[in-house]
Amino acid sequence: MRIDETHRRWFIVSLAALIVAAVIYVPYSRSAPEGANGGTVAGLTYGIIAFAFMLFAGLLGARKKVPIWRVGRAQAWMRGHLWLGFISFPLILFHSGFRFGVGLTKGLMWLFAVVFVSGIVGAVLQHFMPRFETQRIPMETIYEQIGRVRSQLVSEAQILVEQACAALTGSVSQATEQQRAASASAGTKGGLTVASGLDVDEGAGVELKEFFRRELQPYIVEGGSRGMALADRNQSKSMFQQLRLLLPPNLHSSVDDLENICEEKRELDQQAQYHRILHTWLLVHIPASYALLLLGAVHAVMALRY
Amino acid sequence: MARRIRTTKNLAKRMDLQYFKLAHPLRSWRLWLSILVPVIAVVWFAAQRASSQKVYSSGPLSAAHAVLGKNCNVCHVTTLGFFRAKVSDDACLKCHDAPAHHAEKVDFTARCGSCHVEHKGSLRLASTENVSCTQCHADLRTRNGSPQYVRDVKDFDKEHPEFAALRPGARDPGQVKLNHYAHLRPNLAGPTGPVQMDCQDCHRLRLAAMDGSWPYAMPQAMSQSMSQPIPRPIAAGMSADLKHAPSQDYMAPIVYATQCAGCHVKDLQFDKRFDQVAPHDKPEVVQAFLIQKYSDYFASHPGALKEAVAPERILPSTVKLPLPVPRNRQEWMDQQIMLADRLLFDKGCKLCHVMIEGNGAEGNALPMVAKSSIPARWFLHAEFDHDSHRLLTCTACHTRTPDSRQTADILLPGIESCRDCHEDGGPRHDAASGRCSECHAYHDWTKERPTKGKFTIPQLRAAR
Repeated sequence: MRIDETHRRWFIVSLAALIVAAVIYVPYSRSAPEGANGGTVAGLTYGIIAFAFMLFAGLLGARKKVPIWRVGRAQAWMRGHLWLGFISFPLILFHSGFRFGVGLTKGLMWLFAVVFVSGIVGAVLQHFMPRFETQRIPMETIYEQIGRVRSQLVSEAQILVEQACAALTGSVSQATEQQRAASASAGTKGGLTVASGLDVDEGAGVELKEFFRRELQPYIVEGGSRGMALADRNQSKSMFQQLRLLLPPNLHSSVDDLENICEEKRELDQQAQYHRILHTWLLVHIPASYALLLLGAVHAVMALRY
Repeated sequence: MARRIRTTKNLAKRMDLQYFKLAHPLRSWRLWLSILVPVIAVVWFAAQRASSQKVYSSGPLSAAHAVLGKNCNVCHVTTLGFFRAKVSDDACLKCHDAPAHHAEKVDFTARCGSCHVEHKGSLRLASTENVSCTQCHADLRTRNGSPQYVRDVKDFDKEHPEFAALRPGARDPGQVKLNHYAHLRPNLAGPTGPVQMDCQDCHRLRLAAMDGSWPYAMPQAMSQSMSQPIPRPIAAGMSADLKHAPSQDYMAPIVYATQCAGCHVKDLQFDKRFDQVAPHDKPEVVQAFLIQKYSDYFASHPGALKEAVAPERILPSTVKLPLPVPRNRQEWMDQQIMLADRLLFDKGCKLCHVMIEGNGAEGNALPMVAKSSIPARWFLHAEFDHDSHRLLTCTACHTRTPDSRQTADILLPGIESCRDCHEDGGPRHDAASGRCSECHAYHDWTKERPTKGKFTIPQLRAAR
């Protein structure tokens, strides 16, 4: 969620609440023997308010699970999650007198620190990454469908290659002398053996199929495909350029399409990478939050006992 | 062949509209971790709880209570049928009979735990924060409405009043005349020649005084000839008048035999015909000593009646001259004792003591020595540890001492002297602590009663 003008009210209210809490904390911590601690009236108040905020923040997950609930807009819940969750950490520090304690309280404080930091990281990523991603990948797809799109791209590429090979076996090469000379001198580059001009019609089809089998298909099928020649835009460009030299001009549009498929695959990889960056923090934030709420409830009950 | 064109429409056609129902690694991970991490947290908590209740602890115990760390129930006593197990004062009183502070005078008695805050890992639980004291002393309220002490003390740095002994009109109640200035001058006549006295020649901590040799003590030979052992400079019942039991070492009281006699023994000489000097004792004892001495002398010197009185024995202002010639033993005895009395009581004793003349009536003819009244401790409601301050010279704090000529001068350092080093913030300000508890004790330990042990070692140490 982008932190924009719509957050102004939440920001002001949260900041005001934080300032009030801090202003109360200073004289309270000075007047309390041995400093502030969770067992005093003020300390308990901080703890109860902070835990209520944490519970509210934790309910966002439930709110998302049941979108038809008439309990406010999901965006409002998200803003509340963000800002109330944010100020709950300083409130807990006021509650504990900035001590981490031992045993359960120490575990809770570290857990909360992990939740807080991962939440901050997530908020920053959610603020900047989507726009950055849109600029880099204008034609992004649904992340969960990337695998499906990849297999469609393989099929598409396979059809293109087969069509090109069929066209090659049924026609005479249209390559010019100059193109043939260039292709002959190119030798082997980027894993593609460039055929000589004399057997272009037969050899080009074989080479195209071989290129598809050895380079193009594995690249499209493989998610991420780091280290593969086609993953690098420059190497890819060079390889397709050689392919064009190998094939007659009437098949260059097919090469262009294959290159376009590779480009789309690169964008899919990039999108997957951005998506992982944008969402992996949740693998820390959400489980740690559940653990925090669970142990926090135990702490609240046992603190009342002792 | 048509060039491949990417449009959002084309992209949309590729989507499986039921995609959100399918499992996805990231969502699956999130789900499993959301189950696994709380489960791990609960398992960790259960494992911790199984070994001890320490997992509930909000912080490490103080050094004195650390031994109870495995068994919370020693202090956190649960009342039957109730879930709550807050520490009550009763739990503290099981081991500590700490009498309340002016309980009969104030309306409010703080809970033990409100001042001695546990689970902070402190080294000394008794070293309480100032707020423990200022919660009452910042605006002291007593049952009768008139507090005996200053009503509003909020801190040490600014608001603590000057020490009571130094407030206007206060004077040293001591009746032993002492001129510090004279004693600290160079080339003072010592027992064996000129000396430069030092504070520690007379003022030492009690423990040090027990072992140390005093440079100006009564010469051993003289002490033996007088059959008077040199007393240890520990005043009997020294703390009897104190409100609080002294926990720290104080200065030994000044005792003639150890701190004065070395130089002032000559002031007790009364007659050169005797090697011995008069005893440093009550006038009655001195008188008996003189009678005994002169009786013995007369018996062993048949020509004593005709011996001339040595001029140095006559204190002109106190004796009617010329002296009559004694005609018999009784007249001789009376004259000798009268001369010795005047020399001692009107000069030797008076050098240091305030002498109260007898009224001449039967049995009350001898003067009395005014009680010395030297305060054993100046701070009756506070404690001071000289040993902790041993890095300082005496005059660093007792600045007025070298120039003090009057006994009534109070040479106690003022609070400003303490504030030079002690601050409320203490170590936070690179200063010595200025906490109330540095000098003051809350509990009236004179009323402490012994407590009986109530636990066995397994009861304390067994984890529950």
